[in-house]
Amino acid sequence: MCLQNFSSQVIERHNKPEVEVGSSKELLLTPIIISRNEKERVLIESSINSIRVSIAVKQADEIEKILCHKFMRFMMLRAENFIILRRTPMQDYDISFLITNFHTEMMLKHKLVDFVIHFMEDIDKEISEMKLAVNARARICAEEFLKTF
Amino acid sequence: MILLEIENKIVETTLKSRLNSQKPDAVDQTVADYDGVVFHISNPGRDKSKIMVSISIRSYAQLQQHGVDEHLATIYGNYLTTPEEGYDVSLLFDLENLSSDKDILIRNASLLKRNCVACVFEKYFDLQKQYEDQGVQSKDFAIINYREDETLYIQAQKDRVVVIFSTLFKDENDIIIGKVFMQEFKEGRRGRQEAPQVLFSHRDPPLELRGTSARIGDNVAYISFVLFPRHTNPKNRQNTINVIHTFRNYLHYHIKCSKAYLHSRMRARTEDFLKVLNRAKPEKVSEKKTISGKTFVRR
Repeated sequence: MCLQNFSSQVIERHNKPEVEVGSSKELLLTPIIISRNEKERVLIESSINSIRVSIAVKQADEIEKILCHKFMRFMMLRAENFIILRRTPMQDYDISFLITNFHTEMMLKHKLVDFVIHFMEDIDKEISEMKLAVNARARICAEEFLKTF
Repeated sequence: MILLEIENKIVETTLKSRLNSQKPDAVDQTVADYDGVVFHISNPGRDKSKIMVSISIRSYAQLQQHGVDEHLATIYGNYLTTPEEGYDVSLLFDLENLSSDKDILIRNASLLKRNCVACVFEKYFDLQKQYEDQGVQSKDFAIINYREDETLYIQAQKDRVVVIFSTLFKDENDIIIGKVFMQEFKEGRRGRQEAPQVLFSHRDPPLELRGTSARIGDNVAYISFVLFPRHTNPKNRQNTINVIHTFRNYLHYHIKCSKAYLHSRMRARTEDFLKVLNRAKPEKVSEKKTISGKTFVRR
């Protein structure tokens, strides 16, 4: 996360995250994929003035898929508050963060890293908890209904 | 409130307040219920001493083929009148000479919708008994379009009555949550001998309905209940009808509930994430002033 202020080489007075624009090869670093398995992986793309972290969350079955999709959409609608959240995820990933040099100047770097790690830890937990909640509710409903016969 | 009520609460409370008060007030209310049912409570001809309760059900014509009129006549007797315009059944209460117990009257009036639907179930429960005694059976179905695009099928066989609900999920996520629910309904029977068998099929109608006009589609689900004589005997019959006719609404109600719950969970979790993120922002060093107004600088 060694980011520095860097103005556009192409257009004067523009200052854009290079990882998004990708205007020049020399400013981009080799992207890294860290994966536990096929479904759970993290892609880190970095450049001179910005870094993009994309996360793919484990989705074992249909219900986890919709829960994850709903949750991510819910958060991305609130991207304004999340500052570093990207409004649309990268292709094949569920959620992306975009951290620019302005963010690292404004906020503490190690805390930002803490946040991303906390996020990754909690998202799996939350989704499986939500799934359990749906199942538990379904079971109680079915039992109550059938009990009345 | 896990189970839905079978009576209409608004009809019940309105009638209660009108029938029990000394000086009756004018009343004109239109009340909606599940499955597009509409109640209308009014004073016919502005006569405050008379109260009319009317109901409109979209599948009433189909119910009439199964003898709903006769069925209602046995329950409501003299209170039935010619239906109000735009409605299917009307009950008329004359406040000056109410014969029987008021509470029973009110109760029955609020169960109007349930009683209309019940006739089909009763008819087919009787048919099943008949088939069992005679050893024959016919393959015909009662088809009730209780909602637009959603249908109820009832078939009597020698040893059982099959009730099939077709239901339409508007939202594709509902199907998936619905599937979880149906799975539990299927399994819920384990350890409960008295419960009916529940079968569930998504997209394609079950075997019994092959060759009928049943819809096929990604958002259609069919749920069959297999009712045995222990559910349809005269002793348990009323209870069975009470429970089963609310099934579709029960299922959808709980799907909506779980979605609402998930949503509130997501909200809470999102706030939690935000809190963690905000920790990354350094605390603002605000200027501190001494009592005399000079800026205080910490060295």
